[in-house]
Amino acid sequence: MSDESVMASDLQRKVPNAPYTVEQFMNAEKEMTKLLTESASEEQESKMPVNAVFAKLSEISKSMPLAKDMIQWSRSNSLWPMQFGLACCAIELMDFAACRIDAERKGYLLLRGTPRQCDVMIVAGWVTKSMVPRIKRLYEQMASPKYVVAFGECATSGGPWWESYNIMQGIDQVLPVDVYACGCPPKPENLFAALMKLQDKIGGRVAGNNERSISENMQRHEGERV
Amino acid sequence: MSVVRINVGPIHPSTHGVLRLVVDVDGDTVKLVEPHIGFLHRGVEKLCETRMYMQSPSYMEKLDYIAPLAWDELYVAAVEQAMGTPVKDGAQYARVILLEFQRIASHLLWIGTLANDLGQLITAFMWAFRDRAKVIKLLEDVSGSRMFYVNMRLGGLYQPLPDDFKERSYGLIDYLDRTMPEYLDVLDKNEVFIDRTKNVGALSRDDAINYGVSGPVLRASGVREDVRRSQPYYIYDKLKFDIPVMRNGDCFDRYRVRYEEILQSTKIIRQALAMMPDNADVVGAPIKLIGPAAKPDPVVMRREIPRGEGLIYMIPDKQRPYRISLRSPTFINLAVLPKLCEGVKFADIFAIMGSLDLVLAEIDR
Repeated sequence: MSDESVMASDLQRKVPNAPYTVEQFMNAEKEMTKLLTESASEEQESKMPVNAVFAKLSEISKSMPLAKDMIQWSRSNSLWPMQFGLACCAIELMDFAACRIDAERKGYLLLRGTPRQCDVMIVAGWVTKSMVPRIKRLYEQMASPKYVVAFGECATSGGPWWESYNIMQGIDQVLPVDVYACGCPPKPENLFAALMKLQDKIGGRVAGNNERSISENMQRHEGERV
Repeated sequence: MSVVRINVGPIHPSTHGVLRLVVDVDGDTVKLVEPHIGFLHRGVEKLCETRMYMQSPSYMEKLDYIAPLAWDELYVAAVEQAMGTPVKDGAQYARVILLEFQRIASHLLWIGTLANDLGQLITAFMWAFRDRAKVIKLLEDVSGSRMFYVNMRLGGLYQPLPDDFKERSYGLIDYLDRTMPEYLDVLDKNEVFIDRTKNVGALSRDDAINYGVSGPVLRASGVREDVRRSQPYYIYDKLKFDIPVMRNGDCFDRYRVRYEEILQSTKIIRQALAMMPDNADVVGAPIKLIGPAAKPDPVVMRREIPRGEGLIYMIPDKQRPYRISLRSPTFINLAVLPKLCEGVKFADIFAIMGSLDLVLAEIDR
C-alpha cells in the first residue's frame, strides 16, 4: 500500500500544472510524429517507445522494396473502418456490418467506436456546416496512414441538398477523399466494392499517392482522382 | 461527490445519429441531461417551397430514413387533398400493405439496434437484420429502389405491382410469423436485456399526455391512441386489428409494444391481401411539373407513421406549396428524455434514448 501511494504522489508531481494550449492540442499529431522521430534517432534504445517501431518501419519501406510490399499487403488487408454515421447512409453501413454482407470476411473488422483505432473514415451522410470542425477533429485523431471514403451523393457533392444554405457541398472540400461511392444511398455491395478499390490503392495496384496531407489534396488536380 | 459535466456526442456510437447531450453526473448518477440538436439541419421546409408538388417526396423520404415510405405517403396524401385527387381502390389496399411492411422493417431495425446498444446482444441484431433484409427486398422489387422508394404518385403508385406480389407477401408473412417468436428466446428470456430495460426510464400516463408524445412511446404508457383507429384512412376501418398497450411505460414496455405491433402488422397485411382484388389497377398519375392547380384551402394531414403521429400542415399555392410545416413525432418524443433521465445511472441514458427510437434527420429537418 505504502509503495503504491508513493508512486502515485510521484506521478502527480510530474504532471505539469499549466494546461495545454489549444495550438498544442490541435497539432497533437505533428507533436507525436516529432516525438517519434526524435526518439527513433536517439541511441538509447531502451527508452524508445513502442510506437517508434512504426516510424522505423516507414524508413525501412523507403529503402527496401520487399518490405514495402509487405507493409502494403498488411495494411490493405486489415482496414478498420470507424463507426461513424451521419444520416441515411449509416443505415446501409449497419447492413454492411450485418449478416447479409458480413464485411468481416474481407478484413474490414467490426466498426470501431474510437478514431484512434481506425484506418478508414467512411463519411456516410450529408455534412452540415456545424459538423465540419468536428469531422476535421475526428480525422486528425486518426493515426496515420488514414483513408477517407465519401459514401453517397451527399458526402460526394451535397446530393439533393445542393441548394441548401447549411450544407457542405462534398466532404472533399475539407478532407482528402480516396474513394467515392455513388448512389443515394449506395447499396452495401457498393461500399464493399469501394473498400476493395481502396485496398487496391493501398496495395499499390492503382496509381495514386498513398499518404496525402490536406494541403496537398487541395492542390491536387482533377486527373489524379481515383 | 461533486457534479461533473460530461459531453456526449455529437458523434457517439450509441446516439443513432448526431445528437449532442450535455450530462451532469454525480458519481454515476445523472443529475441533468440537456439535448443539443441541429447538427443535421438542412432546411427541408424551405426547400419544399422552391419545388413543384411532386418534386418534394424525395425530400420527405429523407426525413425518416428508417421508414421512408411513411413520410412519402403522408406528403402525397396531403397533396392529393390539396388537388382533390381521389385514390384508386386497388391502390388503397396496396398502400396499406406497403406501409405495414415498412412499419415491420422499421421496428425490426429498432429491435436490432436496441439489442446492440444494450451490451452487444449481437444475435438479436443479426436476426433482426436478416428478417429486415427480406422485407426490404420485397419493397425494392415493388418500387425499384432499395431504400428511398419514391413509390407514391397522385392517386396511386409509381408502377404496377409485380405479378407474384401476393404469393411473395403471403410467404414473407408466414416467414415472419415463424421467426418472430425466436426473438423471445434471445431478448425476453435474456437477463442482461431484462435488467437493463425493466423499470428503467418509466414514463407515467399523465406525463406522457402532458409532454405530447405519440406512437409506441405513448401506448407503452397506457394510452390507447392510434390514428389508424381514431381517424381511419384508406381501408383501416374495414380491418380487424388490436392496438397493443402496456402499463408501466418503461423501456421494456416500449420494446413489447413495438414487438406486438409487428405481429399486428402481419395480421393487417394478411387481411388486406385477402380483400385486395386480383390484377387491381394501382398506377397513379405520372409526374407532371406543371399540373392542375391546387385549391387554396390549407391542408392538415395526419398519419400513424412508425415513430408516432406525423402531421403536415400545408398552405397550397397553385403549382407549389406556399408554406409547409411538419410535426415530426421524434422531435416531441425527444423532449421527454431529460425528464426520464433524472436520477438514472449513466449507462441507462442510452437504453432510454434507444427506446424512444430517435431519428435525428427528422428532428433537425
